[in-house]
Amino acid sequence: MSTPTVEVGTELPAYDVPSVSAEKMKTMAALLSDPTPIHWDVETLRALGMGDRPVNQGPLNMGYVMNAVTAWAGGPQSLRRLRVRFLGTVLAGQHLRVRGTVSGLREEDGARLADCDVVLEVVDGDAVVSGSATVVLS
Amino acid sequence: MGSPTEADLQTVVGRRFPGGTYTVEPWRAWLLADTVLAEPPSLRDPAPQVAHPLFAWMAATGAMGLTWDELFAWFGATAADGPVFGEHETTLHRPLRVGGTYRVTGGIESAARKVGRRTGVFDVVGYAMDLHDEGGAPAARCWNSIVFPRRDA
Repeated sequence: MSTPTVEVGTELPAYDVPSVSAEKMKTMAALLSDPTPIHWDVETLRALGMGDRPVNQGPLNMGYVMNAVTAWAGGPQSLRRLRVRFLGTVLAGQHLRVRGTVSGLREEDGARLADCDVVLEVVDGDAVVSGSATVVLS
Repeated sequence: MGSPTEADLQTVVGRRFPGGTYTVEPWRAWLLADTVLAEPPSLRDPAPQVAHPLFAWMAATGAMGLTWDELFAWFGATAADGPVFGEHETTLHRPLRVGGTYRVTGGIESAARKVGRRTGVFDVVGYAMDLHDEGGAPAARCWNSIVFPRRDA
């Protein structure tokens, strides 16, 4: 990334998840030892009146935001902080987009840091995660 | 299982997790990266590799020393009650490493009962975990809040 062009108000490249995968949710449930069946059991979803599309895990939604800001900043080593608020659910098959805007630039211990406002939204729908991130600019 | 009273909630604040250690096993680093749609680390490259930053949360919750069901039970709830994430903050003091082992400590920091016009009664519980590397240096901190719906309160 050519950091000299970064300034307050710079928009990060949009990061898209074209279709949220129910199969990835199953792997995530196993990795997390997460007993919550709304992430993988359609019978439970129907019994709860939640339709038949599994609900994505919050950490996966958070992970997409991490991907977006670290792809822009130069790699997974660049993330210093991420604070997010979970606003809504993401269902299998939905198209998501992460958007971000630089809200501040500062130096700390010799590193150039960028603070960014971030949001994960369902394309043509609502925001589902919002928050802020701090990355080290390379 | 009945909902705890507000006084019951406060007795849990300050309770420490048993804690433990978590190793970012290469196979797990690969699967997690693939699952979150990031570039998986190479399993054949012997050079040190950075783990996906989501591993701060994975390690924190994976080695807090109790299961989700046990944590929910501290607050008189089960997974079937529909507890959900509220907020989360990850602070990385240094990148986490594939193959690295981290010591996890933490506990319950806050608990409060609230009433929403649309949602009714719910409890918001804050908890945090710190990760230290094998040399004892701070690696990361995860703060979280979890929301417990209280339909019977």
